[in-house]
Amino acid sequence: MQLSISTLASLASTASAARFLLQVPPTGLLNPSTLPSTTHATLQSSGPPIDAYLTRSNTFSFANVSAGSYLATVHCRDYVFEPLRIDVSVEEAVEGSGEKKEVVRAWQTFLGNEWDNKGESRGEGGNGLVVEARPVGTKFFYQERSGFSPMSFLKNPMILMAVVSMGLMFGMPKLMENMDPEMKEEFEEMQKTGVLGSGTTNTASQIQNFDLASWMAGKTDTGSTPRGQSPAGQAKKR
Amino acid sequence: MRLHAALTLAACLAPAAAIFEDDAYHIDFHYALLGLPKHEATFFQKPYAGSKASLLYSISQNQTIGAINPKDGALVWRQHFSTEPHGQGHLRSGSEQDTVISAVGDRIAAWSSSDGRLVWETSVKGAVVEDLEILEQEDGMTINEAKDAIVLLSGGSHGVKRLDGKTGLAKWTFEDSSGDTPFQVSTSPTTIYYISLHSPLLGGSKLKVTSLSPITGKKVDQYTLSSDAEITARSNILFAGANTAAPLLAWTDKAHKVLKVNIIGTKSVASFNTPGDDAVEKIVLHAPNHVNSLPHFLVEYQTAVGHSAEVYHVDLKKSTISKAYSLPELKNTGTFTTSTSDANVYFTRVTEDEVAVFSSTSHGILGRWALKHSLATAGAHPVHGVSEVVVKAGTASAVRSAILYSNGQWVLHRNDELAWSRPEFLSGTVSAVWAGLPEEEALAQALEEEGNRNLVSAYIHRVQRHIQDLMYFPAWAQSIPTRLLGSVFGKSNEDAIKDVKLDTFGFHKLVVVATEKGRLAALDVGSRGKILWNIDLHQFAPDATLQSLSLKAHRGHVEVKDSSLKAPLFINSTTGSLAAHQKAKTPLPAVSGAEKLVSFALVDDTLKGFLEGGPTSEPVWSFSPAPGERIVKYTARPLQDPVASIGKVLGDRRVLYKYLNPNLVLVTAVQDSTRTASIYLLDSASGQLLHTISHSDVDTSRPIPSTISEHWFVYSLTTDAKAGALSRGYQLIVSDLYESPLPDDRGPLGATSNSSTVQPSSSTGDVIKPYVLSQSYQIPAEISHMTVTQTRQGITSRELLVTVPSINSIIGIPRQIIDPRRPIGRDTNAQEKEEGLVPYTPVINWDPKWHITHKYEVIGVQDVITSESGIESTSLVFAYGLDIFGTRVAPSFAFDILGKGFNKISMLLTVVALFGGVIFVAPLVRRKQINSLWTT
Repeated sequence: MQLSISTLASLASTASAARFLLQVPPTGLLNPSTLPSTTHATLQSSGPPIDAYLTRSNTFSFANVSAGSYLATVHCRDYVFEPLRIDVSVEEAVEGSGEKKEVVRAWQTFLGNEWDNKGESRGEGGNGLVVEARPVGTKFFYQERSGFSPMSFLKNPMILMAVVSMGLMFGMPKLMENMDPEMKEEFEEMQKTGVLGSGTTNTASQIQNFDLASWMAGKTDTGSTPRGQSPAGQAKKR
Repeated sequence: MRLHAALTLAACLAPAAAIFEDDAYHIDFHYALLGLPKHEATFFQKPYAGSKASLLYSISQNQTIGAINPKDGALVWRQHFSTEPHGQGHLRSGSEQDTVISAVGDRIAAWSSSDGRLVWETSVKGAVVEDLEILEQEDGMTINEAKDAIVLLSGGSHGVKRLDGKTGLAKWTFEDSSGDTPFQVSTSPTTIYYISLHSPLLGGSKLKVTSLSPITGKKVDQYTLSSDAEITARSNILFAGANTAAPLLAWTDKAHKVLKVNIIGTKSVASFNTPGDDAVEKIVLHAPNHVNSLPHFLVEYQTAVGHSAEVYHVDLKKSTISKAYSLPELKNTGTFTTSTSDANVYFTRVTEDEVAVFSSTSHGILGRWALKHSLATAGAHPVHGVSEVVVKAGTASAVRSAILYSNGQWVLHRNDELAWSRPEFLSGTVSAVWAGLPEEEALAQALEEEGNRNLVSAYIHRVQRHIQDLMYFPAWAQSIPTRLLGSVFGKSNEDAIKDVKLDTFGFHKLVVVATEKGRLAALDVGSRGKILWNIDLHQFAPDATLQSLSLKAHRGHVEVKDSSLKAPLFINSTTGSLAAHQKAKTPLPAVSGAEKLVSFALVDDTLKGFLEGGPTSEPVWSFSPAPGERIVKYTARPLQDPVASIGKVLGDRRVLYKYLNPNLVLVTAVQDSTRTASIYLLDSASGQLLHTISHSDVDTSRPIPSTISEHWFVYSLTTDAKAGALSRGYQLIVSDLYESPLPDDRGPLGATSNSSTVQPSSSTGDVIKPYVLSQSYQIPAEISHMTVTQTRQGITSRELLVTVPSINSIIGIPRQIIDPRRPIGRDTNAQEKEEGLVPYTPVINWDPKWHITHKYEVIGVQDVITSESGIESTSLVFAYGLDIFGTRVAPSFAFDILGKGFNKISMLLTVVALFGGVIFVAPLVRRKQINSLWTT
């Protein structure tokens, strides 16, 4: 194949026209023989870009390229390729010999940077140079649908907080009950003396006595003191 | 590495609404078309020797080469030559080869038959390939390796070349310096014949046949046939046999009275009279082009009322031609196809309602199938086709024929069934407009009718209409359970989508398209591009040569304009019939009494505005660009461009007022000598110049697409490297227009209570110029066309739809990515972050998620049109050109519609669970309440 292209190019070669190949190397990312046949490469400098189709041997052959500096891009539906800068010049092979030859140089290039800001060299040589065109990424067109899953729902911090506080609310009385009487007494003593820090205020008892059902039923709290004391008063009345 | 970084950055900052995987191929559709296939370049062929199934190869009239799977009509591969002008295209393939060879213009290329990759390519500068043949045999022996191609060139220098089948190199060249017109080449096992037309000064042309040696390309013999009595035009030559054992040359006279046949290589000419009952309008010669097949051929005569055929046999030893049998005339239109099996030749007659297979040796029918009626071919007749026939024990057991119908549908008949149809007539779409759905149009018409009556009769009419609508109620009520179940259990309502009537969200909108061949068709974008009707406009205007059709949609009908039409045609957009003229009055644009309409047009490189209905045709304003510049394009703001907010709210709650002018026109002008492009922003009412920008180092030979919407405009340029530009590639420039650079300030308009941006010149006496903010970005590939999405109220953020021909995609760039207020050279501060701004990056790498065409490869897009749908979040998109593509996009996600991701079952389960919880908790609460009442 290479032979055919080189011979083909020699047909058309003129004084200052170079020919070279862009080759898609097989990498872990991409098996080049799976590329769609619409993959093509362009050389852009001025006027209509030079276009080359993908061949059976995973190459793009450019023949008859006149001297200049070109932006080479491989266009593909499924992969993104790195852009290349390709300079074609006619130079004297040996200084002073007068014999001029085409020289092709290739570098990595970066869009949005100055043209002189070249990257790594991707090859240099005369006619028939093979330059690797490397893919840098796969195109993934689709958006994942975030489906509903119970685990993701449970991982929500709000839900976690609610679950923990719920556990405390229901678990604490149970814990207290299971404690042996001595421990319990000691605990109550501690609460009274305010070791736990809540003895002086009745916030803890408020929370413990919190009437969820009536709160949900829409009863408005008029104040914690009368409610907290009323059961005691009632008991006295009896 | 930097590219990597840029890519990931782009991916991060773009929370754009991409296509969901389960929506792809459901909400969008794509007709991957070839164009009308050429008869002599369409064939069934095995993609490689030993392959079990064959593919259908063709080159179309617009130079697209493609391989189609004959099973389902799907495109296997195609190659499109966008730059080649319409003209001759050739496609040939040798038997048992794994390549197909094409010749388009001066490019000859061999493609891998199975995947469409290039094998070799060669071009002859300045020449045009007139004919292409494959050399099947050499010295009577079949070539087993890559078979060579013989090409006939005209243009620069006439001649024949033999190209090596492996490399495309010329083995020899035969130069013809006689000045005759090259016509065709034909090969026989031992000789290559080069046929040219020798035109003496007076009278018709003589056929000159030159025999060449296949090995050396040297002239062996030459003779001239005295055909000058008959041949006055190229179309008189019917056939120059390709690759048959006995290559034929057949021609006829102008009146189709006589048929003359010559076996190439001999000088004798056999003459036959054509059947004389009716005047023969067209003669087509069908001969097998297989080397080993019997030398039989069929001549088809088409008359105004029917068609008939005669089968001839060639006696190779005696070099005589004799008529074997004739097929009776049928009073309808049809065509014949040729197929071979070993040496046997079979002719298949395809008419509007029947397929019949004949053997070339006798007139007995081997198989006959009555074609089932199908929508695709209704009212059309077969034009040409190719067939494959399976013959077992003297009867044809199966036949499949790929037939091009006169309505532009390319269909495959498998026995009596229509296996697939490809709407190839859509490939040359030149204009398209959105039209309403039939039901909406009918309702609108009825309402309009009611509006014109008096109160009582209108009321009666309305009641009657409602009673009539009740007729649909039972069916609708019956459909409720299935619809409900279907939607709950996630069974996508595909069937419902097919039904045009169910259009809750306004996704079903018709697009009426006009093709370059003068056809008009309507597609339903919501039902994956279903073709509702397809008509030939020539039936309404028989004399017109419809070439540059332009469409305009009105309520219920489409106005068709063409330079060759005296008056515009009005076509009913729901049925495709000619609308009555009194009904089809063009509604005048909404202009109230005191207002005047200014229209503008490009006249001699000057943009001129005219007062519509004014007393004189003098322009009220004219605009010409700087000297030396030529206007390449102008774009106006779309007529329907709703704006939700007149200002842009900044992070600190201050407002930047948008410069909203409905009359904005963007004019692009280029100067080739200095390689500069200038952009002019005009007000089309006053003709005032509002803003100009000039760019240097622009490749003026490349397209400069531009679009304008709301308060911003975008255009794209290609950098020209000639003068050593600092950077390379392609640029996208975005400009925002604001009333003032300061927030909370309305500029010169602020103080006046009664000012209007519509009449900028009259408000203060001086034109109020917008404050323009611009930013430019580097983009990875060239853009050929751009447009902006449209939604119902303009609340949804817009998306810039750009067509990228190099990757055959349409990409939707979110507006926040191309916001010119992106801070440059620093990070965003808290307020800017709140606005959703991201720091400026010089490159916009196209996120694959922006590709609205995803895996489709949409080739040859000329234009993309957008329309609002029934819901605010979604915009409908339709692209046409060579391919047809339609989809819907939701630039700010589908916020007003439940997607497929919404799990209705889990929602129902949650509701049930909550209900159960309430029932369980209710007694508890009640007990507690009662207890608390007792205790207090």
